Amino acid sequence: MKKLIEISLGIVTSVGGFLEIGSITTAAQAGAGFGFQLAWVVVLGTLCIAFLVEMSGRFSACSKHTIPDAMRERFGVNFFAITLAVLLGVTLLVLAAEEGGIAAALEMATGWPIPAWATPVAILAWLLLWRGTFGFIENGVSALGLVTIAFAVGAAKMHPDYHAVMTGMVPSLPTHDRVHYWFVAVSVLGASITPSLYYFYSSGAIEDKWDASYVGVNRVIAAIGMGFGGFLSLAVLVLGALVFHPKGVEVQHYQQLPELLTGVFGRKGFWLVVASLGIACLGATVEIALALAYTIAQGFGWRWGEDLEPHDDARFSLTYTLLIAAAALFVLFGVDPLKLTEISMALTAASLPVGVFPFLILMNDREYLGEHTNGFFGNAVVMVISGLAAVLAVVSIPLQLAGG
Amino acid sequence: MHLIADILDEQLRDSRGENSGRIDGIVLELRDGQPPLLAYLEVSPITLLGRFSERLARWYAKYDARLGPGRGVPYRVPWARVTREGPTLRMDIDVRSTPINALEDWLSRHIVQRIPGG
Repeated sequence: MKKLIEISLGIVTSVGGFLEIGSITTAAQAGAGFGFQLAWVVVLGTLCIAFLVEMSGRFSACSKHTIPDAMRERFGVNFFAITLAVLLGVTLLVLAAEEGGIAAALEMATGWPIPAWATPVAILAWLLLWRGTFGFIENGVSALGLVTIAFAVGAAKMHPDYHAVMTGMVPSLPTHDRVHYWFVAVSVLGASITPSLYYFYSSGAIEDKWDASYVGVNRVIAAIGMGFGGFLSLAVLVLGALVFHPKGVEVQHYQQLPELLTGVFGRKGFWLVVASLGIACLGATVEIALALAYTIAQGFGWRWGEDLEPHDDARFSLTYTLLIAAAALFVLFGVDPLKLTEISMALTAASLPVGVFPFLILMNDREYLGEHTNGFFGNAVVMVISGLAAVLAVVSIPLQLAGG
Repeated sequence: MHLIADILDEQLRDSRGENSGRIDGIVLELRDGQPPLLAYLEVSPITLLGRFSERLARWYAKYDARLGPGRGVPYRVPWARVTREGPTLRMDIDVRSTPINALEDWLSRHIVQRIPGG
């Protein structure tokens, strides 16, 4: 019974935590630019993150190590430093994009400009971490994220051509705007396969005191939670395809996003998109800030834990404080959140192998996992998809920049 | 036992189970006509930085010394006081009696406790 409750709770948090600035905008852009044709990329990205999340939960439950902890131990400090630098650089941009997303939602709600919201947003996110416990953040904030289900309801109400959507799930080559097609594909992959998500999940398994008996629970949560999250991304893509694609409109501003639902729900649709964006990005902000602080604290062997009082783990608490403040500077100085999202998602995709490949080595190490090491299929899925994402990113980012 | 694989970079806990940094370095004692002896484990940012660059480590050591008594040189745990416990190494010393957490304590007293709710 206890495990059943944990499974449902885990699924709620995964679903509530899946959609954020990256998945919402990149899926909307994919639908707007190419109809249903890029649906296959959402499927690939979801498959990869579901496998990664399952692996990170299994890793922590069986080895009692978090990923950064084991990375430093297994590969030494020099290698850990490189991984940390890449993760920190890319994820700080993602964090800035998420804070920008909250600010953009507040701008749409109040009419006050985005930079004016930078400081209140940073203080709100910081207060949640400073005063909240892990359970409160994991369950409370992400349960609110269930408002994003509105995208699925909206997509269903638009009665899309389901056969065409299914056809889009089969990979196909672009017929026009080749460079843009691959760039959007890369952004969608980067938005789905967020390293901070599975790093967060691995620390969560330790905070929730999982052991090897949770391997089954973990598998169900990862499969259903991530699957349903990917389904919501797909719903956004379908809405983008139905609302923007026929008119030939590209998604270039946040202010366009409410149109995804105003067609179906009218004025209520506007508020649903604003609430979805604001809440989803707030959830992502606290998760990402925590994930980075966990990584740094674990890598250096500090005291850490969201359930400790800040004065008991001062370095850990000040680390997430500084990260949130640093990210807020981007918003304060008026960097366009949409541009930030595009760049950070593409860079996430390009840097995937740096974190993913060493993690796969850990997942095949019997010293850590005993009999629970990866199978061939899991290794292959994650290696092929993240490798593909990185290659596509390295090729398409310069071309996209060159082409404006 | 493999020194590099099993000891270096491992998580260290103290006698109460508190995280007390990671094993940043290993000190061997060379003895005439006998094999070297594992004498100490070092836990210190100075040792850690020294693994990247000796100059960087020397430069940083001056600032590390300002953190209080026992800082400015790497802190050494005698190997005899360390045992393996599950995924971590455990020393039978209370971390509060060592300078390992000097920065944590300073930040806690001077910054965190001055912020409401800290």
